[in-house]
Amino acid sequence: MNCEVCQLKELEVEHYEIREVLRCILHTIVFHRALGLVRPKDIDLELFDITYVQCGDEDLEKKIEEKIEQFIGWVEKHPNKKSQICLSFYEVKNRQPSWFTNKIERLYWEQWYVNWNVAQHPKAHSSKSHHSKVVLDPGESALEETNARRAALEASLREALFQIIKFVNEKKDHVPPIPNPEGVVYFPYEITIPSSSDSTFGMDMIKRMLQTGHPTMLS
Amino acid sequence: MDLQGNSQPELGKLEQIVSQFLLKSLHIILDSRVPSCHPHGCSQDLSSASRVRKSDKWFALVLGDHPAALDNLNFWHRNLMDPMIIDIIPVHEGSKSMGESVETVIERWVVQYEYPRKTYKKSIILLRALYSQMRLLPAYKIFRQLSRSSQTYNFDIIYKVPSFGDPFSRVDKEMMEEHSFNHLEAFPVRLCIFVAYRKTLTDFNLEPSTSLPPKIITDYVGSPNIDPLRSFPSSEKGVRAISFPLRGVRSPSPVPFQRPRSWTSGFHRVAFSAQNQPIVGSPPSYRPSALPYDYPSPPTDIYGLLVMMIISFHLHSLHLHPRLLRHTSPLVILCKHVYIHKLILNSRYLSPNSSDPSRSSLPPLSSRSRNIEPSSEESPYGTTIRDSKDDSGWFLRLLSSSCSPHIRFSRSSSRLSFQDDLDDNVFSSPFDVDDVDALDIQVSHNFDGKKASKFTSQSLPIVTKSQDVVVGVLVHMLRTAPPLRQDSCCYSSHSMKTELEEGVPTASGFFMPRKTANALEELRSFIEMKDLLLSKSGTRVVSKDDF
Repeated sequence: MNCEVCQLKELEVEHYEIREVLRCILHTIVFHRALGLVRPKDIDLELFDITYVQCGDEDLEKKIEEKIEQFIGWVEKHPNKKSQICLSFYEVKNRQPSWFTNKIERLYWEQWYVNWNVAQHPKAHSSKSHHSKVVLDPGESALEETNARRAALEASLREALFQIIKFVNEKKDHVPPIPNPEGVVYFPYEITIPSSSDSTFGMDMIKRMLQTGHPTMLS
Repeated sequence: MDLQGNSQPELGKLEQIVSQFLLKSLHIILDSRVPSCHPHGCSQDLSSASRVRKSDKWFALVLGDHPAALDNLNFWHRNLMDPMIIDIIPVHEGSKSMGESVETVIERWVVQYEYPRKTYKKSIILLRALYSQMRLLPAYKIFRQLSRSSQTYNFDIIYKVPSFGDPFSRVDKEMMEEHSFNHLEAFPVRLCIFVAYRKTLTDFNLEPSTSLPPKIITDYVGSPNIDPLRSFPSSEKGVRAISFPLRGVRSPSPVPFQRPRSWTSGFHRVAFSAQNQPIVGSPPSYRPSALPYDYPSPPTDIYGLLVMMIISFHLHSLHLHPRLLRHTSPLVILCKHVYIHKLILNSRYLSPNSSDPSRSSLPPLSSRSRNIEPSSEESPYGTTIRDSKDDSGWFLRLLSSSCSPHIRFSRSSSRLSFQDDLDDNVFSSPFDVDDVDALDIQVSHNFDGKKASKFTSQSLPIVTKSQDVVVGVLVHMLRTAPPLRQDSCCYSSHSMKTELEEGVPTASGFFMPRKTANALEELRSFIEMKDLLLSKSGTRVVSKDDF
């Protein structure tokens, strides 16, 4: 079974926008892959005029929130860096001992890459920073720039959501049979955030590539 | 593989899947576009505590109560293999009555399901995509405006399910974008959802309705069933209406005064003149052309009136829909009277068979007996207050009579019974329909603080289930009601001004913080009422006709 990969377009966000945007994207993806009985819950974003749908599962919400917090913590330690979050769905295969893999082998059948370009951390801003949330020079130009950036981000986010919907509709054949009808999210999943060092993060991605046999994730 | 090779049972299963898929699709579309088809407003709680119906389990998507339109799907869509076309059309006010209107389709959904085979899992995903997409298209925004906003708008959204879709004009086509939910590839399976939608809706002039100039009713006398704690700015209206007409009060000029009410369910006709009674409180104003209606007999003494006011206030904290509380609909009156009965029983003020129409003096005169005089008039909807010990029986009698006719309140032109321009104050605790499984109450959020003069409604809540269920629901509401104590966290301002900007939107509704000014105003109204009643006590004869 091949692994379908979806690279979402890069989102340029500010630090305080990460939580909402990431929550929206992750929940939207999972909503289309959680084939258990879901009670859809409409969530309105506070920063943008967008409504997305959650599965209404508390465990799922908790896990996603934990990952979001971890990612925000990583961003605070690595300001002004591009990053990537990977949401993967996998199947658990028979254990095959290998020096490269863990005991439980995971066969990834779908991966979503959310690419980020987080603007300069507010605390590290300079007086001339244009991306700082705290506008030292509250001129109209700065405000207009902020509004324009916000509008662009909303459009990008909306486009990302359309991209997700399009992808889930186009790619259905690779979705494995429902393993065990318990809970909302039938398929095991994992959310990979950048680890403490970039090199380790890159190694994790290479590991996954080798496991799934996917030629490359880099488009 | 072709269908001819299928066995009959398999064919039956396929037909069932197809019909359920069409039902589900239609449910998703109507729920996200037509406010009148969206039960319980947008704040429907689909939590795990909600009962999961069989229909919800189809395609693993719980959608809750479905619109009544789905029941007629078989009529609309006899051949399941024919594409189901759903047109979403905004309709402006006035065009409905005029009968002539150019209906412009802002969205056209085409759902076609052919030769379903091994596609249940994929159809689950497709419906999920449909559900998400409904919220990303431009029409969702105006649906939200209609459903959640407390303002009234000059338009409504209706839907049509034509047998065939009229082709769009060239102009319309240019303004529309198309999107096809990718159909399944495997031959001969074909599952397709297609949408053509307008990219922008700015051409439709979808705006909040302009309010009519407020009409000052100088001799208006409010109803105890209306929230008396809501301030009615005297600077704007010039007159503040009393919340409770007093029993036993006879004005020097006993001209029957028929006040317009928000419903016409046939309660006691009110005959009361406020000319000699200074008025306090701030009920909503009504259209003078609204039909008068009656009220059950209220308590007559000061204590009872204050209790009524407190109850009215706290009933807002109950899981009652604000629309119901704002109007003297039967359900609200029933709730309040049940509550009154409970309080009266606890307070030992009630003399069940007292027939003394004279008003008592001020509370808290524990030795005074309260008087709840049975109404002298038989309401067409049954008797009202009889005996505190028999309140359940009374309640059931009233409920049974008030349950008919079942009137559906809808803003959709396709199901028009009563036009409604209700003022709807947003509340922190919307009507909890999750517990009211039997009540099929549909209301639309339609609030405009500037339209106090337009406040009238002849709509009634829908009670379509058994009386026992309704009673159970009301009992539950009363049990879960907060204590009789003003809670600043739960109280919402009943000012007729638009104060939505102070509300905090949550997933389940709006939360209106109470201002100190509102509390002070209420206190003043209490004091004024007390002074008024004190001045009038013992000098007037209780009138039979009461609110």
